Amino acid sequence: MRLLMWWSGRALSSAATLLGVSVLIFAAVRLMPGGFAETVLGPFATAEQKAELAARYGLDQPVFMQYGHWLGAVAGGDFGISMISRQPVGAELLARLPVTAELTVLAVAASVLLGVPLGVLTAVRARPTGGGGLGRLVSGLGVSVPEFVLGSLVVFVFSRYTLGLEVGSWIPLTQDPAANLATMILPAAVLSVFSISVTARTTRDAVMGVLVEPYVTAAVGRGESPWFIVRHHVLRNAATPVVTLVGTTTAYLLGGALIVEHVFNLPGVGSYLVQAVGRRDYAVVQAGVLLAAGVFIVMNVLIDLLVGAIDPRLGVMAGRRS
Amino acid sequence: MRPIRLACGVAAALLATACAATGTTTTPAPAAQETAAPGFLAVADQALAKGGTLNLQVHIDSGAATGYDPQLADVATTWQLLSLSYETLVTVGPDFGVQPLLAEKWDTPDDKTYVFHLRKGVTFSNGREMTADDVVGSLKRLLASKSVWAGQLGPVEEITKDGDGKVRVTLKEPYTPFLAALANVPAAILPMKEIDDKSVDPATTLLGTGPYVVENHRQDVSWTFKRNDAYWNQGKPAADTLNITIAPEEAARIAALQNGGAALATLGNVDSETMLAGAKDVKVVTQATTDFYYLMLNSLKPGSKLADPKVRQAIGIALDTQQIADVALGGKGKPTAITPAGLPGACDPAALPSAARSLDEAKQLLAEAGAQNLSFTLTIFNTEPAPAVAQVIQQNLQQAGITVKIEQLDEASWSGKVYGKAPAEFDAAMSWFAGYADPGMVTKWWNPETAGFNAGFMKPDPELSKLIDAANQQPQDRAKALADVCARADADAQMIPLVTRPSTVAYRADALSPSLYATEGYGNVLRLVADARVKKPQ
Repeated sequence: MRLLMWWSGRALSSAATLLGVSVLIFAAVRLMPGGFAETVLGPFATAEQKAELAARYGLDQPVFMQYGHWLGAVAGGDFGISMISRQPVGAELLARLPVTAELTVLAVAASVLLGVPLGVLTAVRARPTGGGGLGRLVSGLGVSVPEFVLGSLVVFVFSRYTLGLEVGSWIPLTQDPAANLATMILPAAVLSVFSISVTARTTRDAVMGVLVEPYVTAAVGRGESPWFIVRHHVLRNAATPVVTLVGTTTAYLLGGALIVEHVFNLPGVGSYLVQAVGRRDYAVVQAGVLLAAGVFIVMNVLIDLLVGAIDPRLGVMAGRRS
Repeated sequence: MRPIRLACGVAAALLATACAATGTTTTPAPAAQETAAPGFLAVADQALAKGGTLNLQVHIDSGAATGYDPQLADVATTWQLLSLSYETLVTVGPDFGVQPLLAEKWDTPDDKTYVFHLRKGVTFSNGREMTADDVVGSLKRLLASKSVWAGQLGPVEEITKDGDGKVRVTLKEPYTPFLAALANVPAAILPMKEIDDKSVDPATTLLGTGPYVVENHRQDVSWTFKRNDAYWNQGKPAADTLNITIAPEEAARIAALQNGGAALATLGNVDSETMLAGAKDVKVVTQATTDFYYLMLNSLKPGSKLADPKVRQAIGIALDTQQIADVALGGKGKPTAITPAGLPGACDPAALPSAARSLDEAKQLLAEAGAQNLSFTLTIFNTEPAPAVAQVIQQNLQQAGITVKIEQLDEASWSGKVYGKAPAEFDAAMSWFAGYADPGMVTKWWNPETAGFNAGFMKPDPELSKLIDAANQQPQDRAKALADVCARADADAQMIPLVTRPSTVAYRADALSPSLYATEGYGNVLRLVADARVKKPQ
């Protein structure tokens, strides 16, 4: 019963969040400067052609009616038609999703495989007197450099010196997995720098917090080896904030993919959205933002479930805490 | 201590990278452009074997909001892509000469009549033979459409079939740019039988007589074209497949050229040639185009000093277009009058009345108009080199005591501000026109009654409109008529032509032997792609 109530609560709050996002994005795209007609049809378009375009996409109706029609269609799985390509937005999002998903998975994998060991290592080797300047500097750099700066630098360097990795081209995974990887490694690396840094820093803090717990002191007293202690006592207890972070970072990376896909010319959801914003392609922007919000919500639910599995005291069934 | 060493190391690494970058971008030794043949930048090596796949990258996709219908295509990027599948009766040769294409020749029994002799054995890519009915139907459809190109065809009175293999076009009055207007994609010959019986919708299907057939198109991602095996011109196209990637980021296109991901790419930034200097096997060429930048001065904004012709003339005088060409376009552009520089018969911008007047005269005009401390906002889009051009304009006008504030917007916001309302809300704005292949064609945009898109900021000048029409109706002594148009537009100064807009193309000489004209009127870098030979499989 408690599980049912939990799911019902999450479903309601998720629906409310999505509804709020839908109102905000619908209003935001219409408040953007620059008319869709001049952008989509070009300067030579006549008033009659502009009116035809508006009528074709229902943009001549009152905004509330437009919103109602759009929301109803989205609820039925129809994300509308792109004014630029005249193709269904949902189909194009589906076609592009694998690129963004692959980019995000690679970046998350790099964050976990590099960030967690780095964090553990710096925590275990930290001196009681403090220190850790190296870790702080590296993570500080990683967090501070924006993706478009790092991405542009990487594109420049790897266009001058190929070094076995390609930029400026993209090959589908289904066509040639090895060649695909060669085009995806650099964008994924750029995308992951921020999350590796944050993951390493959070892991370090979490591990250092656990290392001073009495049960760790007891394990040391029993003469267990340091790496046994880390594996069996520290990692699981330090995992909660790291898992939460990785989950939220995954959703964040989808946002970062907007820039990285554009800079590296990858045909993912991010570059689709960037182009759509530039061309005031309303249906695409609305669907893309709604999709991103959906991903955030789903990731949050997954994090809650995963945290509950790792630490039952924090789980869904743990009951209300005062 | 260790963090300090690390910080020094990181700083040194970043500095080294920056120096490497500087080292590659400050080698201003652009090699003299090779001249392959008169009128050409490069001519494909016919000794090379045919076949293979050609990977190209361009910065923007077709403007597909109006679909694939070539008659509604109004921007050069769309013409470029559609020209691979569609063809016109005539085409533009090197140095803007009109040449036969689907018409193997034409007669002009008088200055108002054209009789086109259609090429035999031409088929659409569905296998059906092109007929005179297709030609008549296509041109009539264009004239009846809302296409901006319908106006460029001129005063067409009648289009009739003259036997099976001939089409006769009769004009109401002589119209000099007629053949040049027929040579562009909107005048393409369409499969009218299929369009009329509704088995083909040209908005969604490309079905032409051209060298390539579309196999796949993903908007803003890529195009794949396969050779049209039934193409009438035996021996063409040379390459079996064209893969065209849409890569909006210039750096990504440069990277693809460097690492061989692309055999040819279009470039937009004048510095890109320097970026590619020293890149192994990459050749960079600049194709002169008739496209040109121009300054719009809003004479319809209530209370604006720019409504006074003296103020606008003063601005025209104060502009140093040679400096704009040299500084903002790296010396690749040319100052121009409203007839695009480089076109046969175009006016000499140095001979314009404003060119002979001094900065003091500009200040005098401002004083007479009571606009000594003139200040206005120049609204530009953020695509290079527009910001650089705007900065030179700002500095030029400062010398005449005019303060210019530059407002840089994304293209959509810019379009909305410039074309979204009438009267328009901007003070001044900058844009560029395609210059086409006849000097009289683009002058039509100086008449807001013909070019409705300018009506939000521009008053009609009846005298100028009369001169424009006269110059296009006058096959004899046209140079004098065009000079009158240029001088009148110079005095009107509601739209001030600045400099031509060159097109930079880079290709891998180890992967491709292309053919490229030295000059282009319709922004079509891919005009001769059917001739290009692939040097090695990619």
